[in-house]
Order: sequence, then C-alpha cells, then structure tokens
Amino acid sequence: MSGKVKIMERRGKDLYERVYLIEVFKGMATTFGHFLRNFLDNSKLLVRHYPEQKPEITARWRGRHRLTKHEDGSMKCVACFMCQTNCPAKCIMIEAGERTDGRTEKMPVRFDIDLLECIYCGYCVEACPMDAIRMDTGIFSVTGNERESFVMKLEDLLATPGAFSEEEYKKGGA
Amino acid sequence: MADKVKLFVNGQEVEVESGKNLIDAIGAVGIEIPHLCYHPALGADGNCRMCLVGIEDGRPPIVPACKTKAAEGMKVLLDADHIKKIQHDVMELELINHPIDCPICDQAGECKLQDYYMKYDGQKSRMTVKPVMKAKKLDFGAGVVHDQERCILCARCVRFTRQITKTGELGIVNRTDYARVNIFPGRPLANRYALNVVDLCPVGAMTSSDFRFKQRAWFLTKSPSICQGCSKGCNIFIDHNREKYKDDVIYRYRPRLNEKVNGYFICDEGRMTYKAENDNRLTTGIVSGKETGLSEAVEATRRLISEAKKTVFLVSPNNTLEQMYAIKAFAAEAGAALSGFSDGYIQEGDADGYLIQDDKSANRASFELLGIEGSKDGFDKAVADADLVISFNNDLSKSLAEADLNALLEKAQLVYIGTSLGTCASKAAVALPIASYSEDCGSLINIDQVLQQFAVAVVKNEPAANLIEVVQQLGGSVAGVKEARAGLMESVAALKDVNLEEVPEEGIALTDNEVSNVAA
Amino acid sequence: MSQLDILLIVSRVCFGAFVPLCFIAVCVWMERRGAAFFQDRSGPNRANICGFRAGGLVQNLADAVKLITKEDIIPGHLKHKFYFVLAPCIVFCIAIASFAAIPFADVMKIGGKEYIMQTIPTDLGILWFLALAGFGVYGIILAGWSSHNKYGVLGGLRAAAQVISYEIPMGLAIVSALIVYGTVNLTGIAQFQGQLLFGFIPMWGVVLQPLGAIIFIVAAFAEANRTPFDLAEGESELVAGFHVEYSSMKFGMFFMGEYVAMFTNAAIIVTLYFGGFQIPWLATETLVAYARPLTVLMMLAVPACGWIFCLWMSKNNRSHYAHESDYRDREVAVYTKIVWGIVAAIDIMLFVYLIAASGGDADRVLVMFLQVFTFLIKTTMMCFVYVWVRWTLPRFRYDQLQRLGWQTLLPLSLLNIFITSAVVVALS
Repeated sequence: MSGKVKIMERRGKDLYERVYLIEVFKGMATTFGHFLRNFLDNSKLLVRHYPEQKPEITARWRGRHRLTKHEDGSMKCVACFMCQTNCPAKCIMIEAGERTDGRTEKMPVRFDIDLLECIYCGYCVEACPMDAIRMDTGIFSVTGNERESFVMKLEDLLATPGAFSEEEYKKGGA
Repeated sequence: MADKVKLFVNGQEVEVESGKNLIDAIGAVGIEIPHLCYHPALGADGNCRMCLVGIEDGRPPIVPACKTKAAEGMKVLLDADHIKKIQHDVMELELINHPIDCPICDQAGECKLQDYYMKYDGQKSRMTVKPVMKAKKLDFGAGVVHDQERCILCARCVRFTRQITKTGELGIVNRTDYARVNIFPGRPLANRYALNVVDLCPVGAMTSSDFRFKQRAWFLTKSPSICQGCSKGCNIFIDHNREKYKDDVIYRYRPRLNEKVNGYFICDEGRMTYKAENDNRLTTGIVSGKETGLSEAVEATRRLISEAKKTVFLVSPNNTLEQMYAIKAFAAEAGAALSGFSDGYIQEGDADGYLIQDDKSANRASFELLGIEGSKDGFDKAVADADLVISFNNDLSKSLAEADLNALLEKAQLVYIGTSLGTCASKAAVALPIASYSEDCGSLINIDQVLQQFAVAVVKNEPAANLIEVVQQLGGSVAGVKEARAGLMESVAALKDVNLEEVPEEGIALTDNEVSNVAA
Repeated sequence: MSQLDILLIVSRVCFGAFVPLCFIAVCVWMERRGAAFFQDRSGPNRANICGFRAGGLVQNLADAVKLITKEDIIPGHLKHKFYFVLAPCIVFCIAIASFAAIPFADVMKIGGKEYIMQTIPTDLGILWFLALAGFGVYGIILAGWSSHNKYGVLGGLRAAAQVISYEIPMGLAIVSALIVYGTVNLTGIAQFQGQLLFGFIPMWGVVLQPLGAIIFIVAAFAEANRTPFDLAEGESELVAGFHVEYSSMKFGMFFMGEYVAMFTNAAIIVTLYFGGFQIPWLATETLVAYARPLTVLMMLAVPACGWIFCLWMSKNNRSHYAHESDYRDREVAVYTKIVWGIVAAIDIMLFVYLIAASGGDADRVLVMFLQVFTFLIKTTMMCFVYVWVRWTLPRFRYDQLQRLGWQTLLPLSLLNIFITSAVVVALS
C-alpha cells in the first residue's frame, strides 16, 4: 500500500483507563462543558434555524424537477421515454402524442412525476437527450396535504423556472 | 431434410444447410452477418452492401453474402479488418443523411440501423455539410406513415408491394442523395397487407399510424400467439404492456414466422383485431340487465338450466378444441342439444387465395372433428321446442337477422357466455364474462387442418375466468385444459396419435387418414 | 381521625401519585433539551400554544396527543393478547408504586401528633423499593415474550439477565448502607444523614459509603434500563427490543414507565446517599428553631432568583437570525411578568406567615415545604445526571455488561460490606 499508514495506539489497557470511572468522569466533564456553554448562551449552538434560515443551494443540487423550454417557449421534451426507462423508482409516467407546436413530431401529452416515489437520483436528467428535464429548481422541500398534490403534472413542471443561470448550471458539471 | 455442408467461418468449422445463401445458412447456427436490404421472404437485392464478406477461394476479394450460396469447404471471412472497414463505411454512408431523431422514432429499440451503429460503427459523424432534408410524416394510406429522411433505400417495402401483394404502389424516385421512396401521385397504398411494410422496414421510415407514439418498443412484452381473425390461424406476436397503475393492454400484433401457415406476414384486418381484446369487453356478470359478480351470474345460469325444459348449447367456431370438448361433455351430461350454428362468421367471397379466408372464425375445422352440427337447419330444429339457449361466445346477432333473433328470444331465454359487449350481451337474460384468447390458452385447427396451440399472453389485473372454468362451475365435469386434452386424445380418432401436451411451435398437420408430424 | 389526619393522608397520597407523573413531563423535557445542549443543538423549540412554547414543554403536550391518537395495534399473530396488554401496565404501575415508600420531608409534628411524610407510612422502606424494582422487569420480560417476535424475546431475555446480574450488587450495596444506618426505614435513613461528621461535614451516604454509592448508582442505571445499560432496547441490533410490537398509548406506557422509573430511582439514590430531604447543615430542629430569620432570608433570595432567571431568559430566549419582529420578545415579556408574579406571591405568603402565624405549628409546615422543595431539587439534579450519562457514554456490549456486573461490581460490593462491617464494629 502506498498511502500513508497511521498506526493508532490501542487504548484502554493501563490501570488508569481500566478503572473506567475516571475516564467516565472526564467524558462527562467534556459533555457538561458543552451543556453549560449552550445553556448559558444559546447563540453558540451549532445549528441553522430552519425554516427561517434557508440553506444555500448549489447548482449541482438535485432539487424538484422541471421541464425546460426552447427560447420560443415551446417545450424541449420530445417524449422519448428515456427518463421513464431509466428511472429506478418508476416515478415518471409519460403519454406521448403528436406534436402541435410545429417542432419535430412528438411531444408528451401527459408527463407526471410522482414525487412521493422519486428518489431524486438524477438519472432522468442524465438520460435526457434534449436537456429537457432538469433538477435545478432549487426546491428541496416538497410538502402537500394529499398524495395527489405530490404528482407533478406537465404544466407544473413547465411552469417552474430554474434557480440558476445557464453558466452556473453548466459549471455544475451538467 | 436439406443436405448439410461444412464450411469455415473465420477459420472455425460449422455445419450448415446447403442451398441457402450465407446470411440464412450461417445465421441459422448463430453467426450474424449484418444486412439491411435482404429479407428471406423478399430475396436478395444486394443494394445495401452491408453483408459483404470475404471468401478465400480465388473469387473477388469481397462478395455479398445474400447472393452467395453456402458451399462445401467455403472459407468465409467475417472479422478481417477490411470486412470490418466495409461495414463501418457502409454504416457511415447510410448515416450521412439519416436524422438522429431516435428519441422520437418508434423504431428505436428494434431498429437495425441503431443496432448496427452500436455494433459496427460507433463513431461520430464527420459530416460538415447540411444533410439533405426530405419529407417527413407522409401519409401513404392504409395506416402507413412514411418518413423519407429516415429511409435508407433498402427497397424492402418496394419489393414487398411488387413481389408479395403484386400491387406495386411504391417506388423509388430520384437518384443519389435525393432518392426517396414514394407512392404514385393520388394512388396511396391500397392492399390488405400494407402494414407489413412497417415490420419489414429495418429503420423507422415506415410507421403505423395506429401504433405511432403509443409505446416504446422496449416496454412491450412480446408473447407468441395465434391470430383469430380468420380461419388461417396466422402466427403472431402479441405486444402488450402493463403501464404503472394500469391494466395489461395490447398495443399491436406483429407477424411471427411459421412457414407452414402464414410465412412472414399477416393481413391488416387480422393485425387490427387486437382492438377487440382491449375495448368493449364484457367484464362483469349481467343478470336481467343488472351488473353482478361472476358467482351470482353462474348461480342464475344454473337456476335457468335446472328450470328449463329443453336447453340448446350454442358453440362458437372461435372456441378452442379444449373448450368445445368441455362444452360437448357438459351438453351430454345436462341433456342439452348442441349446435355450432354460426353462418354469420363466414363472409363469402372475401378470400384472396393468400392469407385472408372467407371464414372469419379460427377453429371451425374442430366442429367436424368433434361431430358438432353447424348447419342452420340443425339449429332451427334444436331451438324449435327449446326454452333456453346458452351461447358459448357465439355472437348470434352475426348469424341471425334482428327480427329472427327477437323471435327466437321471445320463446327462449338466452344466456351469453362471452368476451365482449354487444347485442347478445344486452339481450341475454344472463351474461357471463370469460377470458378472451389473448388471456387464455388452447388448440386451434385452421382451414388447412393444421393444429396449433397458443398460450396465455396477457394477464389482466382482474383476470376473467376462462371458458372451461365457467363450464365447470355451471356443472360440467371437465376440470381444465389438461383434462380436456387427455379426453380429446382418448375419444377423438384423428387425435389418437397426437400428443396435445407437446404440440411443436409450427403446429401439426392433421390429414384425413393419417397423422403426420410436420416437424418430423 | 381528625380532619387534619384526613387532609394529610389525602395530600401525601396525591403527592406520591402525581409528582412522579408531573415529573415525566419534566424528565422528558430535560432529556430532550439536555440532549440537545450536550450535542450543541437547540432541542424542541417549535411547538407552541398561541406562540408560547414554555421552553419546549409544549412539545410534550403535542407528543402526548400524538401517542393517544395513534392507531393502537395489537398484532394478529399474538396468542396471549391479555399479557401483551398487561405488560406496559405492569411497567408503569410498578414504577409509580415504588415511589410510595420514599420520604419527601421529615416527620412532621403537628398538635402533638407525628406524621410520616411518605405516601405509604410504612417501615418497609428500602425493602419495598427492592421488591418492586425487581418486579418491574417482569413487565419487560412479559412484553418481549408476548410480542411473539424474536427481537422482542431477545430484548426481554436481555432485560431478565441484566436485572439478575445487577440486583445482587445493588442489594449488597444496600446491605452495607444499612449496616451504617442501622435501619431499613427510609425516613430513618434520611434523618440519620441530617447529622454532621466531625461537626462540619454533612453525614450523607455518599460520604460514608462512597464505593457503595457508586455501585448502587451503576446498578440503578442498569435496573432502569437506561444508557449505557439499555441493551433490552438495543436499536442497532434489536430494532426496539421488547417494545418493538407496541404502538400508541401502550408504547406510551413503556415510555412513561421508563421516566417514572428514572425519577423513582433518582429519588431513592438521593434518599440513600445524598441526604434525602435534608438541607445540608440545617437539620429539621435547627430549621424550626430559626424559622423567622430563614423566612426573611428567603424573602430576599426569591426575588434574587427571579431576577437572575429573567436576565438569563432575556439573553437566551431570542432568535439568532434576521427577522422583522421577534415573536419571542412578547414571550419574554409575558414570562417576566409571570416570574415576578410568582415571586410576589411567595413573598406575600412568607410575609403573611411572618406577621400572623410564625411560631408554633406553622413553622413545622414551613419547614416541611422547604424539605419537599429540597428533595425535589435534589431528585431533579439526579435525573439530570441520568440524562447527562446517557448523552455521554455509549452503550455497553452485552458481554461487557455481564462482566461488569459479576466480575467487578459483585466483588467490590462484597468487599464494601466487609470494610463497612469492620469499621462499624470497630467504632462501636
């Protein structure tokens, strides 16, 4: 092996450590130190106060999906079913139909993503030959009151804008 | 049995049938020679140059395999560098103008060009000039949609209309980059086998408007079966798929090779019979106009049988051999008259001498085998004093005029045990749903006395009971297909030497006096 | 029986029944907030009623509502449904009952009569506790067995083996304590600890019996199935151990039973080794004698405590992020008013006492309240130690647990008895 090998000293053999209680008290002193520090001044807690403080999402973050559009506003998706084929969770359900906006021939008439089944692996994004599906909305928290509300329809997916600029997104490795 | 010859492929000795060309002969032992224009039913054309192979015996360095007969001692070269370069170059040539719209192409997944690209080419396009744009989405008629850009000019479709249907609607116009397949102006495809060009097309240039964009090829489960559109009994693949949260649905039929029955093709009407399997199906029992469960409907039928003075069992010529046997046995036990009256299934003069037959039922030949009377007179005599007619999937409204049917139903009650909704189901006192042939299994005898078998292809989310089960529930003694087959082999003279449990894929030809296994 | 007798009986029983129940909430809250602070988190701070979160106590309310309204499942495969239901009841009831023999104040002499301040004025004392503590584990074993689940059975068996291993050192540690105290009566034991050693050190059990105290505390942790001895639950290997099949309030009973047991164990540890209700250096009679100056002192101390608390609250009860209007400011304002209201009420009561009722029996009642307060403070601190240990020490491996019980604690406790006996005999 060429890597650096660090041999850890095996602890717990000498009497001092075998008595155990001393080590217990040392450990308890450490934890109590943390307790006291936080108890006396809770501004020192190592927490983010979510939801008031939102985490910063990077362009590589796989958030909720969206369907992208061409510059003229027509959808890029051509209903090739690559995402549905690739989806390990089988959460994408597409129905294809004749294209009506003049571009090529095929487009989805139904494009459902069941977010309750989605595992956010991003395979759909990788499979897409048209760069039509992306997970760059920056939406990481999806909530709803009934199951149906978690099924994203074609319109919902098209309506969501991306949260990042094209350069940022491309820089993210996409 | 054809003679065998020994030859060498890449230095390895193989034994193949003589008299065939190299593609078929070597392909039979599992060594693939890539080809685009050659099709066994259409013969060698030699225009694609994809099947060029080297033969080391003093001939020209390369020859097309489709035009070369396999011969003793031949040394065929497939993996030499110059052969690979030819395949590579031919692929590059084909792909110069081929649009890369695989994502929207229905052929993707079963496309020869796609497969060969992955296998023999695999390089990026070197083209810098704009590809030639041609017409897309041309309606050729008969449900065929043509995409000229995708076409690789193998001329399989053209040859099909010339050699097989002899109608010649298609031709290749223009030359070189501008060559394209087209119909003559104002004369669309108008033959009853036109959709076969969709299957023949090695790429996605020919698509079926019926199947267009419905499914991707790789989602479909391809189950072998037999078309029941007419008495020819063409072999088919049932392509079906169960989408998430939905039922198992059939999307298309494709021809399946059986040289003894239909060869490589099927007719368009037969192809479209899949719709009857999906739509307009009887799914619940109906007792006097109200939907009920199966058990209630069975109970009502049993009551009717026990109350009836005389019962007539009406067998359908679409029932399988096993089903007919079970119904016949039940008729004998219940003391019912048996009739196979189904004149309405015959369309006189529809046959074309190729695949399409007059008789639009799949198994009328079995009537004769089992001694079931199918004439109108026999039926009239049987129903004359009957007060209950039980139709086993026999659509009486096809055979009887509406007035006659109404007259019959005035004196007798009708029980319809069938697959689809319709006149019979709505007029019946009791209607019972059963599994259709795509959901069932059994044996059929076609018009040429070839006995074939098919297995269960589609399994619905809520499978309907099959006919033999229903007959058993009504009081019949035959407990299943296995028992029916055993009974058939025992009681029917013509089937004495046939093992119904092991019918070969291509079927068994039954002749009048002797039983000969075609496969043997 | 006079009215006073009846009043005292009722109030003592109420104390014994409700104080452990109330302390479930306190202990759960302390566990959560404690765990959070030990780990640099903030703990439950969202659940509220009209914006008031009571420092996270409202979360307990939400949890209670959740547990009560959850689906109560009795698995269909069970053969012994009755035992399945009985098991959590045993755990919970035994835990509460074992508190009954613990004195929370010194014997109160009113009107010439003496009232023993225990829920049940019994002399059994420590024996009562030992008997019930041993019985409590039956609930766990029963739960594991009747669940008809391999994880449940393994959890139950672990609990059984663990209790056997630790009952013995615990019993022996108590034996050596009893040699010192000379009585099994817990009131007597607490009174004994009111004396002073060499005239200046409180004669607490922990001073006289340091080794015994450690052994007893370790064994008590094991008895209560608390970390580092909670192998009966062992999430990583047994899913949830004995209560894996339990849901809803049946799980809630286990949950509450665990915290009641923790409270009871803390109380018994305090009584045996930390002076019980005794205020250090201030024995009962001293307190009675100096009731008036003490009252004055308290009237000063209570506002001081209130002031410190309000300072701490206004510093810590605020949002640590950008916001437009901090709803916590309103909370702090209301809490401050409540705190000062309580402080005023106490001071007025003490003042009324000072003017009107000082001297005589009222002094005794005042001392009793002081001792109850002391007892609860000590017990709460002991509970905090439980939490503290839980979030410091990782769980033992099963063989380590058994080795510690049999090879370490048992010989040590025997040695302790020997030394204690020798010293006691030598001194007498």
